[in-house]
Amino acid sequence: MSRPAASPPHDEAPFVSATGVSRRFAPSLPLGDRIVAALGGTMERRTVHAVDGIDLALRKGEALGLVGESGCGKTTLGRMLAGILPPSDGRIAIAGQAVMTGGAHPRKTTTRVQMVFQDPFASLDPRMRIGDTLMEGPVHHRLVSRANALSYVRNWLEQVGLDPDYAGRYPHQFSGGQRQRVAIARALAMQPDVLVCDEPVASLDVSIQAQILNLFLKLRRELDLTLLFISHDLSVVRHLCDRVAIMYLGRIVEEGPAADVYADPRHPYTQALLDSVPKLVLEDGAQVHFKPIRGELPSPLAPPPGCHFHGRCPIAEDRCRVERPALRPVAPGRAAACHFARIDGAPPA
Amino acid sequence: MTTPLLEVIDLSTHFATREGVVKAVNGVSFSVGRGEILGLVGESGSGKSVTGFSLIGLIDPPGRIAGGTVKLEGRDLIGMAPAALRAIRGKRISMVFQDPSMTLNPVLTVGDQMRLALRAHQRLSGPEAQRRLIDVLSRVGIPDPARRLEAYPHQFSGGMRQRIAIAIALLHGPELVIADEPTTALDVSIQAQILTEMKSLARETGTALIWISHDLATISSMADRIAVMYAGRIVESGPTAQVLRDPRHPYTRGLLESLPATATAGTELRSIPGTTPSLLRLPPGCPFAPRCPGAQALCAAEPPETAVGARAYRCHFPLGAAA
Repeated sequence: MSRPAASPPHDEAPFVSATGVSRRFAPSLPLGDRIVAALGGTMERRTVHAVDGIDLALRKGEALGLVGESGCGKTTLGRMLAGILPPSDGRIAIAGQAVMTGGAHPRKTTTRVQMVFQDPFASLDPRMRIGDTLMEGPVHHRLVSRANALSYVRNWLEQVGLDPDYAGRYPHQFSGGQRQRVAIARALAMQPDVLVCDEPVASLDVSIQAQILNLFLKLRRELDLTLLFISHDLSVVRHLCDRVAIMYLGRIVEEGPAADVYADPRHPYTQALLDSVPKLVLEDGAQVHFKPIRGELPSPLAPPPGCHFHGRCPIAEDRCRVERPALRPVAPGRAAACHFARIDGAPPA
Repeated sequence: MTTPLLEVIDLSTHFATREGVVKAVNGVSFSVGRGEILGLVGESGSGKSVTGFSLIGLIDPPGRIAGGTVKLEGRDLIGMAPAALRAIRGKRISMVFQDPSMTLNPVLTVGDQMRLALRAHQRLSGPEAQRRLIDVLSRVGIPDPARRLEAYPHQFSGGMRQRIAIAIALLHGPELVIADEPTTALDVSIQAQILTEMKSLARETGTALIWISHDLATISSMADRIAVMYAGRIVESGPTAQVLRDPRHPYTRGLLESLPATATAGTELRSIPGTTPSLLRLPPGCPFAPRCPGAQALCAAEPPETAVGARAYRCHFPLGAAA
């Protein structure tokens, strides 16, 4: 990257930081209710707390996996970090610089963070040649002159493993895996320091998924990218990411180095999630017992009080029903939000 | 050996399109025993879903079954009169689809649509029908079934909707359930619940299952036997754990090596190069040859199916076997 690094490589200060970030969605009221409200009546607004007071930090060059089930708020958090959705509360910054302006009409203030979306069929304009899609942003932001744009784009296509001559093609001429490569090239052509990837391999077949994961590994090595990788797939995250953060109903319940969290989860939800994942069974006649989490995800419209997980937790006690557990350190570099999380060095309870 | 419950021989299903004939299923043969769970695995476009649809006559034009037989206890279902097939479909063979919000009628209560499904094959008095519905809903883990019968599909979560779809499939105590990616749209924690319940239900009732999935791990924990599909053909089949531990076909091995769970974190995955061939223009010979690391001149000729004991494969140069 041509841009100088904002912090020295060994600096432990976070490169990307989210501080006290929340995001609420209040659906607009139907007309009748709006009239009642205007006349001074009280209307109950069904507000979704998609993201509820999250602190998150990424060091430069780090890959953080954000894991959770549908509705846990991982996409909302990712969009806020990418600067395309303003937070309701809190601040998001890259190297100390806010990614969005405040005020009534927030705008993205930086091109240093870019996003790769899940569905490469929806995220590329079907009527633009991919070369034009790729050069639009960089030309506008003067990362490259119009005269050099084509060779610039061809270079990025090559970087993601596509034939540079494809620049003249339209999205429909590509397979799903190739389109995701185009979407990655589009993000990289903006020369970002941070890439937010929202389920970038979820819609791909396993053999194609493996090719794209290999591409991410290569790009991480070559470009010193800081990566936020959102996925519901624990094995994909373990493969690609240094650290992992587990989300449940708008909150982070556990985070730490991926290998440690997988080997020794401290939050009962992390444990349950790991137990739920089907494993490849290679023994003849093996009896497979899943240990499914009982119950279902509560509605984010009315999350349970205290610890959101208490209704499904095998070790919940009265305290969990009233008191929200803080995300607190449990081991070097690790944190968990559970009243009963085992803490290294603490005497057993 | 007794006749299997279902025997499929050389099944082909083709779709006529403007560009030509898509050979979605291209000479597929397999059998399912009573109470057996067969896992049908493959990537998109491999023909696994079309195979499932073909078994119970759910192929509409421009698709057609171009050849082969599907025998349920010796009786061929292909070419059977529609009325005779309707008497079997939903009663002796039923199907669970991927997306439960597409299979349930949004304007009928769950109870009403279950009663319709019941009445299609059986005359029961009101109270008898009610008892049956409550029984089958509680077997699939719907809490408070008597009250929930009056609810509409949108009032259930995705996992609960899929449970209802499974309950409808089990309504008449079928001998075979074809489940097409039934947990793909669900979260892992819900998927684990459904897998556990489906497997124990199949075991308790002696129902055979054809479990169609792209997910090797799910299949490995469910299926007694596995059939791996590629480009409309079954390229390898056999007892699940044996096939996954020691695959004969390079495509099966490629799939296994593509899984991040089987690799060391952060290392390059041994992915399969290239993409699946277009079913409009299948390469001559082995359809996997253009992506196969071990392809040789002989692979331009179609490999025959080789059966060794319980296992079968279509490869000129099978892995793990003396050449």
